[in-house]
Amino acid sequence: MKLKIKREQVVRFSIFLLLALIAVFFILPYIWMILNSFKSTKEILMSPKNIFPEHFTLDAYIKVLTNSPFFTWFKNSAFITITNTLVILFVSAIVGYVFSKYEFRFKKTLFMIVLATMMVPAQTTMIPSFLLIDKLGLYNTAGALIFPTFVNAFGIYLCKQFCDEIPAEIIESAKLDGAGDITIFFRIVLPMIKPAIGALAIFTFLTYWNDYLNPLIMLSEVKNMTLPLALSFFAQQHTADLAAQMAASALIMIPVTIVFMTFQKYFIKGIAMTGMK
Amino acid sequence: MKNKKFVRIVLIPVFIHMIVFIIMPIVAGLGMSFLDYNPLRSINEFIGFSNFERLLADDNFKIALVNTLVFVIVTVCINIILSLVLAQLINMFKSNKTRSLFRMIFFLPCVAPLVASSVVWGKSIFPTVNGLANMILNALGLSSVNWIGDPSMVMISIIIFTIWADIGYNVILFTAGLDGIPKDYYEAAELDGANGFQKFRYITVPLLGRTFAFVTLMTLISHFQMFAQFSVMILRNGPANSGLVLTSYIYKTAFETKDMGYASAISMVLFIIILGITMVQQKANKVDWEY
Repeated sequence: MKLKIKREQVVRFSIFLLLALIAVFFILPYIWMILNSFKSTKEILMSPKNIFPEHFTLDAYIKVLTNSPFFTWFKNSAFITITNTLVILFVSAIVGYVFSKYEFRFKKTLFMIVLATMMVPAQTTMIPSFLLIDKLGLYNTAGALIFPTFVNAFGIYLCKQFCDEIPAEIIESAKLDGAGDITIFFRIVLPMIKPAIGALAIFTFLTYWNDYLNPLIMLSEVKNMTLPLALSFFAQQHTADLAAQMAASALIMIPVTIVFMTFQKYFIKGIAMTGMK
Repeated sequence: MKNKKFVRIVLIPVFIHMIVFIIMPIVAGLGMSFLDYNPLRSINEFIGFSNFERLLADDNFKIALVNTLVFVIVTVCINIILSLVLAQLINMFKSNKTRSLFRMIFFLPCVAPLVASSVVWGKSIFPTVNGLANMILNALGLSSVNWIGDPSMVMISIIIFTIWADIGYNVILFTAGLDGIPKDYYEAAELDGANGFQKFRYITVPLLGRTFAFVTLMTLISHFQMFAQFSVMILRNGPANSGLVLTSYIYKTAFETKDMGYASAISMVLFIIILGITMVQQKANKVDWEY
């Protein structure tokens, strides 16, 4: 018996070591990015063997923040991401609720249509969408990235699955007490599907904060860019300046990483939930 | 419940929105693939199936199609196997702290914008002289690799990068799926003398069925649409178009060459591939495991 426990401990310890090794591989690019962002480009190029900066400098960060409208880009990204997330949460919740708890004609067909849109690749709709946005006069505005996103099939699906679990009696008795449809939605349904809303919030936030393809197509003016597009633009403008590129990348990665680390538990739970349903 | 008015108020705007921003663009895209469409011209001629005939003779399209298939199949296979193994290893720990520590680390690259990671890998990890990858290889006594400069290496480099960037989602989904399998199944199997592999093969795999099907389908669909790394990490589709994929070819044709009719035809091919995979998957997964 004693031997068996020992063997198990050894196995567990070696698994821990193996995972730790892989974990190092996962973190290494971040560490390298941060180390390089504190070097000068000259040092990166001339003494590639330096792991730690020989001459620690903040020049790269100063360059990014003074040579580019970084805060404007940040504001653009924040505005678009927050608006999209809030609208998608509301629309998904109320539509999911309607599909879950109401009876109406063609319900199954309509829901199938919603689900089917999940399989349509962005590349198939992007050319006509671009022409449409251009016709509507929205090209090069935040609206080009906001208006087309309101209806999110995955969000509707997730919310419907959660609404299905709300007992009909709860809603019926609220109805008998004289509560209207809207009141029931806000007072009863919304609080009960909070976990789905949380998971969806994380999902949509990441999607739009990190989106590159749509801004690339819809925005051309530097002052209107969102962070990912702006970074690729900045990298092209400063191709030779490796340190500045690392600093700009770090500035973009660090806010999301901090948010993630803070709400880590909810993130992981939320993501896991999207797969369970 | 019934309330026609409420249902209408909610659903009509939603479906109008879907028609305008999804259904109409699909139909318009299909229509455009039969036109010689250039947004800068006022008259765009109907040319029948010419765009599709052009596809068959277009070497770049063939390269993009083959590259896409190689990228998706290899990346998704490695991704699924590796994330399943990692999830299994993570779940062997009883302490919740250890578990969430590893899950958090593996998920870290998923929160970073793909563009930012592409810049970091393209400019700091993969360069031949001052890149971290070769520094590590050299330190281990191995010779340098021309990661994104050698046509035969480009796809391998992008696959390594993409696995790093995207595996965290699946690790989390699989650890959650594994958690859902009742522990007594394993205990019963142990009593019957099953070894680790047998337990994995005969309990984990079948009982993970639904999560497995969902994760595979979602990973396939998302990988067919990957674009940022092909556009940011490598310059001009890589040497000898070695990094040209359908998504970057569609973008280039539509927005750089402004040949939108032809680009629409290519995008229809991508659409049909994804549709086909989804349908095969749906059929294959009719068998549902309940537990």
